[in-house]
Amino acid sequence: MTRLNSVMELRELRSMIATDSDNGKPCLVVCAGTACQAGGASDLLRIVKKYIIENDLFDRIAIRVTGCHGFCEMGPFILTEPQKAFYTKVDLDSVPRIIEAVLADEYVEEFLYANPVSGEVYHSCDEIPFFKHQQRSLLAMNQKIDPIRIYDYMAQGGYEALESVLLSQHADWVIQEVKKSGLRGRGGAGFLTGVKWGFMAQQDGGGGKFLVCNADEGDPGAYMDRSILEGNPHSIIEGMIIGAFGMGATNGIVYVRNEYPQAIKNLTIALRRCHDFGLLGDNILGTGLSFDIQIVKGAGAFVCGEETALIRSIEGHAGEPRQRPPFPVEKGIDGKPTAINNVETWANIPLIFRIGARTYSKSGTAGSSGGKVFSLVGKIKNTGLVEVPMGITIGKIIYDIGGGPSGKQKIKAVQTGGPSGGCIPARMFDLPIDYDSLAAAGSIMGSGGMIVMDENTCMVDVAKYFMNFLKEESCGKCYTCRKGTQRMYEILDDISKGKGTLADLDLLEELANVVRDTTMCGLGQSAPNPVLSTLKYFRAEYEAHVKDGRCDAYVCKDLVGAPCAAACPLGTEVWKYVAQIAAGELDDAYQTIRAANPFPSVCARVCSHPCESQCRSGTGDKQPIAIRALKRYVTDRADPLLFTPKPLSEDHDSGDKVAIVGSGPAGLSAAHYLSLSGYQPTVFEADDRPGGMLVSGIPSFRLPREVLDKEISALLDAGVALHCNTALGRDVTVDGLFEDGYKAIFIATGAHKSRRLGLEGEDSKGVLPAMSFLKAFNLHGDELARGRVAIIGGGNSAIDAARVAVRQKTVDKVTILYRRTREEMPAFEEEIEAALAEGIELQVLVSPVEIFTENGSLSGVKVIRNRLGDRGADGRRRPVPIEGSEVELPFEKLIVAISEHPSVMSGDDDSSSIPEAGSSGNLLIDESSLMTSREGVFAGGDVVTGPNTVVDAIAVGKQAAQVIGRWLSGEEPKAPRRTLLPDVYIEPVLLDEDEQAEADRPEVPEIPAAEREKDWSEVELSLTVAAAMREARRCLRCDLEFTQPKEEAALVQTTQGELE
Amino acid sequence: MITLEINGLRASVEEGMTLLEAAKFLGFPIPTLCHMEGLSPYGACRLCVVEIGEGERTKLVSSCTYPAQDGMKVRTASARVVKARKMVLELLLASCPQSKVIQDLAAAHNIRQQRFRQEHEDCINCGLCVRMCEEQMMAKAIGFRGRGQDRSVGTPFDIKSDVCRLCGGCIYVCPACQLRCTYTEPDKAICGGCANLSPSCLEKPEFDDMMCYMNPCVDCETNKD
Repeated sequence: MTRLNSVMELRELRSMIATDSDNGKPCLVVCAGTACQAGGASDLLRIVKKYIIENDLFDRIAIRVTGCHGFCEMGPFILTEPQKAFYTKVDLDSVPRIIEAVLADEYVEEFLYANPVSGEVYHSCDEIPFFKHQQRSLLAMNQKIDPIRIYDYMAQGGYEALESVLLSQHADWVIQEVKKSGLRGRGGAGFLTGVKWGFMAQQDGGGGKFLVCNADEGDPGAYMDRSILEGNPHSIIEGMIIGAFGMGATNGIVYVRNEYPQAIKNLTIALRRCHDFGLLGDNILGTGLSFDIQIVKGAGAFVCGEETALIRSIEGHAGEPRQRPPFPVEKGIDGKPTAINNVETWANIPLIFRIGARTYSKSGTAGSSGGKVFSLVGKIKNTGLVEVPMGITIGKIIYDIGGGPSGKQKIKAVQTGGPSGGCIPARMFDLPIDYDSLAAAGSIMGSGGMIVMDENTCMVDVAKYFMNFLKEESCGKCYTCRKGTQRMYEILDDISKGKGTLADLDLLEELANVVRDTTMCGLGQSAPNPVLSTLKYFRAEYEAHVKDGRCDAYVCKDLVGAPCAAACPLGTEVWKYVAQIAAGELDDAYQTIRAANPFPSVCARVCSHPCESQCRSGTGDKQPIAIRALKRYVTDRADPLLFTPKPLSEDHDSGDKVAIVGSGPAGLSAAHYLSLSGYQPTVFEADDRPGGMLVSGIPSFRLPREVLDKEISALLDAGVALHCNTALGRDVTVDGLFEDGYKAIFIATGAHKSRRLGLEGEDSKGVLPAMSFLKAFNLHGDELARGRVAIIGGGNSAIDAARVAVRQKTVDKVTILYRRTREEMPAFEEEIEAALAEGIELQVLVSPVEIFTENGSLSGVKVIRNRLGDRGADGRRRPVPIEGSEVELPFEKLIVAISEHPSVMSGDDDSSSIPEAGSSGNLLIDESSLMTSREGVFAGGDVVTGPNTVVDAIAVGKQAAQVIGRWLSGEEPKAPRRTLLPDVYIEPVLLDEDEQAEADRPEVPEIPAAEREKDWSEVELSLTVAAAMREARRCLRCDLEFTQPKEEAALVQTTQGELE
Repeated sequence: MITLEINGLRASVEEGMTLLEAAKFLGFPIPTLCHMEGLSPYGACRLCVVEIGEGERTKLVSSCTYPAQDGMKVRTASARVVKARKMVLELLLASCPQSKVIQDLAAAHNIRQQRFRQEHEDCINCGLCVRMCEEQMMAKAIGFRGRGQDRSVGTPFDIKSDVCRLCGGCIYVCPACQLRCTYTEPDKAICGGCANLSPSCLEKPEFDDMMCYMNPCVDCETNKD
């Protein structure tokens, strides 16, 4: 190759390459960006090359090794050209099949990228949602270019911009064009690049002028600059040469951190090639322009990304910012004018000159033109780099491109701009992304890091993490930055350990504001952002830590202990009984369960098991421990008589009478614990037997009646009086109960009233609310369903109703109609599975619009199809009816199961005595004391919350007993903060080798679906001994972090003693 | 000469002056800690912050480093400035409660309590000693090491420096370290001033080698059980 001596020679070379390059040979594009290399791209390349050599395919197929494409989640991958087939997470063994398919112009369907939700297979990478919703200008180049081949870059229009600039011969024009483009610095602050260039051009360059490319990218989780440097170094070089021409600069420096070896290597090669071609050095292309670029490697100090610190670092000093003014454009490196731009800013320059400043300025928003590369990481399905036009909403990036949350938890917030950025809550996801709107929301654009957080992320912990980072990365010059970040970390650490106070929150905020105000450089000024933004949007979370000692994300170790126990509303020491099962001590395990839960066998069957959702075994692709199945295993085998409830307090045996209205799980638990505390509870039940929703709502094939009856009668035996067929408002009143000598009243009447559809004909024969249908059968054995049955709704009562209906004798077919998709159904997943297995049909995305009747009884329903629209406040997508898609479906029975609501005391009670209720009939209470608007009247359970889980009802019953006890003895009616840290050491039993191999969550055995037809026996069976032992031993034993064997504890104490 | 407005007073000052110099020239006091005439301005302690700008676009800058510019509007004691200064002093007091300089400054700003975890450090990294050593003593024996919370002043590798002449200049300018006036053996103390004061804190073990000048003492208040 020869040195190019004029611009025309460059033009000739470029046109030669352009005609030459397209030879029509299929090409395998393999990404060798750092992420893909970590995923095995080097091995993949070796195998691909080996296969091509062995089969002598040189003439028929080409390979291109490129930089990062952005879809790092899926690496290593092969992209084929011209097909654009996208094979993800390529296994080395599948290489031959892929190569053969490319040669034959075919596809290997099973290796192609498939939508993880719908399973749809995409034949072209352009159709993949991750790519489809982006607007890729910079990143698109990456996949077309082998970064070490300058010809590849030229073939894609590289150096065309330089050519036009040099031909124009007007430095002013360059500055004007950049100004016109509206480009703002991509490093984060967003200063107008053209304005900076203009200042720079005006400086006297007598002693030389410097251009710097700032590649000191140090935000945790952000790597877009690295990908551009690695994948397309020539775009930066071209941008800088154009800059040198426009600003009259003589020296260029790329300041890149030493941790980016691949970027340094590719850039070094690219610089050498430019020298060879005469694109850098003296008299570039014979135009008289002399400009050279050298690489300066930074040692990885975060603060060196700040421009004045960067200058000092280049000069050989410690990276420490200094006062601006004077600005670097006046006084920079060695006192000479210096223009510093970010990698992405430089990469945008050739683009602007290629497409024209006017076109460029039209993309993006008015104040922020062009596109921006973001690095999308965290709890998101599609981790990677995304390039989008400015002004796109956060929601679009996260849900459309990012594919939504990676796990089952909802996305809670996104942190933009790295350690100096802020957290933006999910409710603000329709915020358009540009410099100004992000700043207004309390965050910054930063260099483009975007960390997605879900419900398992604790915002206090996030702020603490960033403060920890910043207290180490602050240069330490400004006292408020050095000490301020330390102090903020200290306070946050206290809060995360439950040692914080509300005054600490105010101090934290005050300090954060002062740090922002008083520090010299951008690092210190933006350092408080993580604290301020989380305090602004998630103050409730801070307060939960401080006031209740609760970390709802189950992150802060000292507040959570073992997450399973922390997640249990009853505070069951789950880890303990799982460990006891593993050790074979079933009786002890039963004691552990029963100590916290008066309904062990009931919960073993119908609990919503919040413990399992927080189980650490269940993070990532793994399954949580089958805790509910293990509980069932224990309760089926242990003898309940082993447990004798102990009186809770011996000192105040007051004998005060307490009335409990409602005998559901909440009422019975309250009665049980009140009786243990020395009170005389009397339970009033409106129906003819106790149990509430347990007996009237939950069908017997999920909760056999003999199991339920046994547990209820065990509770009633112990000093609790019961009056059935006594309803509040009908048979007794609040005032009457007080007159009868009851000192306190606990109302736990549940939510039994089904919501109405609001359609005409809803009261005709054949249309039934789900609760009436379930009660009729569960309490009286009346089989009200017949023929074709439709159930409307997607919650647990809809599924229960469907499963009861399908078992009734005269029923032909049961169909569930739900307005959203199965993913959004609130019912338990295993219940939906069971219903489908039992032959129940599930129709999703339909809503009823009209009810047809014949002679006063139901004949059919007209439904309309929906599609999913925008996300509502709860993160679920709203159903939107599709016009003209109505269909008529014939049914003999319609069961409406669209939630229930409480209805208290509709009788003839004096209205002044009724506690205050909310709009949907739910009683209003003070959350910590459970007290209603009426002194001495407490309430809890579904009557307050609306339909809720059994375990929450039991928990509120326990709490009620506690607060009522305290109130009756004249104390403040507040349940004390519970501490849950594990305190007993239980020797772990590890899995042996054979067990290790099979260790996975066991399938809970069930009666086969075929045998369940019209059969009422319990569907779920108990785990086998072997399966239960294996599962219990699979537990990660989070408790061991807090406990130690006695000998060790003794040892620690003696050593401590000796040291003292 | 350039014209600017400080606390509403229009005045002309020499070009090249810092805001601190300009304010002092006009008679507006600004507290400082890391600033000393004869040493180059550094901007480490952030005590000398003033508010510049107008309307919504105001910001705080350290007056010791910020050059006076034509047409500037400066406020040396606005509410925002005072609030920030008080917090800086509170932070200083939380780390270096035994320094007389800091105690005096805190007292002058009516700060009698600090709300952080009490520390007892003997350096606030103000850099006076480093600049003294380099600029006045022409020695460059000491410098800053590390960054962030690990930043400290010392000689390279903590080995006694060959260029150090034991001139004591570093100790002379130090506003925080104990060596200057709290030496427990009076004959070895450099200034000896402490011998004339009644030691209010000495009974507490952690104050064995310290002396306190403040009344009421912030640290004693905080540690009162």
